[in-house]
Amino acid sequence: MSDKPGVLVIVDQLQGDLRPIALELLGAARDLAGKLGVGVQALVMGHKLGDMPQRLVWNGADEVIVVDQPELAEYTTLTYRKASISVIDSMPKPPHIVLCGATTIGRDLAPRIAAHYETGLTADCTELDIGEYEHKGKADPTKVGTYQNCLYAIRPSFGESLKARIIGPWKNPQMATARAGVMIPCGEDTTRTGKITPFTVKFDKEDFITKVIETVRDMSSTVDLTKAKVIVSGGFGLGGPDGFEVVRDLASVFKNSAVGASRKTVDSGWIPYAHQVGQTGKTVRPLIYIALGISGAIQHRVGMSQSGTIIAVNKDEKAPIFQFAHYGIVGDLYEVAPILKEQFRKSFAEASVGAK
Amino acid sequence: MGGYRMVALVKQVPDTSTKAGVNPDGTVDRARAKRMLNPFDKFGLQKAIEVKNAHGGEIIAITMGPPPAIEILVEALEYGADRCYLLTDRRLAASDTLATAYALHKAVQYVGPADIVFTGLQTTDGDTAQTGPQIAERLNLPQVTYCERLEIKDGKAKARRVVEGGHQWLEAPLPILITVANSASKLEHKRFANVHKVKELLRNKEEMSKRIFTIDLDVIGAESGRTGLVGSPTVVGKTWKLGEIGGSCHMLSGDSPTHNVEHLMLKLKEDNRGVEELIQ
Ligand SMILES: Cc1cc2nc3c(=O)[nH]c(=O)nc-3n(C[C@H](O)[C@H](O)[C@H](O)COP(=O)(O)OP(=O)(O)OC[C@H]3O[C@@H](n4cnc5c(N)ncnc54)[C@H](O)[C@@H]3O)c2cc1C
Ligand SMILES: Nc1ncnc2c1ncn2[C@@H]1O[C@H](COP(=O)(O)O)[C@@H](O)[C@H]1O
Repeated sequence: MSDKPGVLVIVDQLQGDLRPIALELLGAARDLAGKLGVGVQALVMGHKLGDMPQRLVWNGADEVIVVDQPELAEYTTLTYRKASISVIDSMPKPPHIVLCGATTIGRDLAPRIAAHYETGLTADCTELDIGEYEHKGKADPTKVGTYQNCLYAIRPSFGESLKARIIGPWKNPQMATARAGVMIPCGEDTTRTGKITPFTVKFDKEDFITKVIETVRDMSSTVDLTKAKVIVSGGFGLGGPDGFEVVRDLASVFKNSAVGASRKTVDSGWIPYAHQVGQTGKTVRPLIYIALGISGAIQHRVGMSQSGTIIAVNKDEKAPIFQFAHYGIVGDLYEVAPILKEQFRKSFAEASVGAK
Repeated sequence: MGGYRMVALVKQVPDTSTKAGVNPDGTVDRARAKRMLNPFDKFGLQKAIEVKNAHGGEIIAITMGPPPAIEILVEALEYGADRCYLLTDRRLAASDTLATAYALHKAVQYVGPADIVFTGLQTTDGDTAQTGPQIAERLNLPQVTYCERLEIKDGKAKARRVVEGGHQWLEAPLPILITVANSASKLEHKRFANVHKVKELLRNKEEMSKRIFTIDLDVIGAESGRTGLVGSPTVVGKTWKLGEIGGSCHMLSGDSPTHNVEHLMLKLKEDNRGVEELIQ
C-alpha cells in the first residue's frame, strides 16, 4: 500500500456489536479512496474484539488498526478520544479524510477530534464525493485558489429544500460524519486481504474521569429503523398518541418491521425521538415504507425517499407525499389501516401457501 | 454562594413553521423570516433550571448572533435565567462550528468558571450537534451528549444518555458540558412570576442593563483570526435545490376504502414489489 495519506474510517461498535454504519462507511471510503488512488484504513477500538478486525478487511479495509484494551471495553468520550488522537498522531502524515458515523458515538467523538486538530467537520452527510474546488471569495484572501481532491461533504441544509456541498481543503484530515442507512456497503468478501496492525494506547488518569455505570440495550424492543425491511410510520394525522396503536398493529403484519414517526408527532410527545424519520431523525431505506397521516414535508422526505416502495395514506389528495410516493390511497387512515392489515395477510401470506 | 454555576448556550434560529420569509423554493430569507429560540435549547435551559431548583445556584445564558438575538435572551430570562450575554461582532459572520465553538468557549471563560455548561442537542438551522462537544474539547471538559436525565450530587453528575437501541448511565465529576436531548422531559411553561418580572424589566432600562450584557471579541479576549470566515476551516462550496423526485404516484382514490386497498394489493402484485417475502 502506498503511504500517501488515505481515508480513515473510525469504526462504530457498541459492546462488541459491529454496527451496520461501520460497513456503510467502509463502502463510502472505498469509493473515495478509489477516486484518490489511496488506501482505506479502519480504526477499531474496544476490548475482546475477536474477528472484528478480520471482518473489517473483508468489508473493504486495506489496513485495520486495532486498539484492543480493557480500558476501551465501553465507549467513553475521553478514552476513545485519546485512542483516536494517539493513532492519528502516530501516522507520518494525517489522513486525507476521516469518516465517522452520525450515531450517538460518532457525533460524540468526531467533534472532539476535529476541534483537537482544528480541522473542518461536516455533520450528517448523505453523500460523499471527491472533486475540485475553486475559492474566489475576496473576504478571506488566505483561502483563494484552486484545490484538487477535495472531500465533497454533502448534506441537506437548513431544513430547507436545499442540499449543500461543504468543502474544507485547507487542512487535513477533512472530516465528516455520515448518516446511518445512506451509504452502500461494498459487501463482505472473505477473499479480500489486508493488514491488521495492533496499536497500544497509553492513557492518563484524567482519561478515566467518566465512568459507565450501566448500559441498557434492549434489542428486542428497539427501534432499529435502519435495519427494518418494512417501516410503518405515523404522522400528525393520527390525531393523538393512541393513534400509534394502529401503526403498530399494521407493522405487526410484516417480518422485520419497525414503527416510524414524523417529527411533529415526536415534538408533540406522542412517541420517543428514536422513531423519528427525516432530516433531524433517521434516514431509512426499507423495502416498504407505509406513511399514515404524514404530509410529506421535505424534511421528512429526505429521510425516506430512497425506500423501495412507498405507500401513502392521507385524506388530503393534495398532500405533498403523493408527489413522491409510489402508491397513494386517499382516505381516512383509521378506516384504511385495518383493511390494509387484513388485505396484506390475505393477498400475500395465504397466497404463498397456496390457499388461493 | 451555594449551589452550582451554570451556563446555558442558546441560539436564535429562523422559524420556518410560519410562511413568513420562506420562499416558494423552500429557501429562507433570513431578513424577513420570523425568528425563534432554537427549540432544542429550551431543553438545555430547563435542565439548568431543574438543577437550580434542586440545589440553588445561578444560570447564565449566552448567545452568539446578530443584535436581534437579544430577543431570545429576554425569553431565557422569562424561563428563569439569572443573567444573559449577547456576543455580537461583525467579525463573527460566516463562522462554521469550529469557529463558533472557539468564540463561545471564550465567552464561557469570560463569564467565569462554570460547574455545568448546557447546550441543546442541535440547532434547527445549523443542525450539526457539533458545537457542544467542540466547546468541551476547547475547555478540556468531560461531556455527556444526548443527555436525557441528570442528577447532581456531591459535585458529581450522574447522567443518562441515549445510545443506539437503549441508554447508558454515566458518572463524571464537575465541571462538565452536557448536551440535552429533546427526549429529556416534557417542556414546562414559563413561570408566570418570571414573565411578569421580565415585563417590568423591559420598562426599566437600567435594571435590564444589569441582566443582559452585550459583549464582543475584544471584551472576551478572542483572536479575530480564529473566528468568522477567516477562522472557519469549512465553507459552503455550492448549494442546489433538491430535485423533485417526480415519481409517478399511482393514486387510489375510489369511494370505498376496501376497494382502494384491494386495488393496491393487485397493483403491488402486478408490479412485483416482493411483498410475499415480508409478511409474517
Ligand atoms: C430544521 C427542520 C428539521 C425537520 N426535521 C424533520 C424530520 O426529521 N422529520 C420530520 O418528519 N419532520 C421534520 N421537520 C418538520 C416538517 O417540516 C413537518 O412539519 C413535519 O414532517 C410534519 O409532520 P406530519 O406530516 O406528521 O404533520 P402535518 O404536516 O400536520 O400532516 C398531517 C397530515 O395528516 C393528514 N391527515 C389528517 N388526518 C388524517 C386522517 N384521519 N387520515 C389520513 N390522513 C390524515 C393531513 O391531510 C396531513 O397531510 C423538520 C422541520 C425543520 C424546520
Ligand atoms: N450561535 C450560538 N450561540 C449560542 N449557542 C450556540 C450557537 N450555535 C450553537 N450553539 C449551541 O450548540 C448547540 C448545538 O448547535 P449546532 O452544532 O449548531 O447543532 C445548540 O443547541 C446551542 O446550545
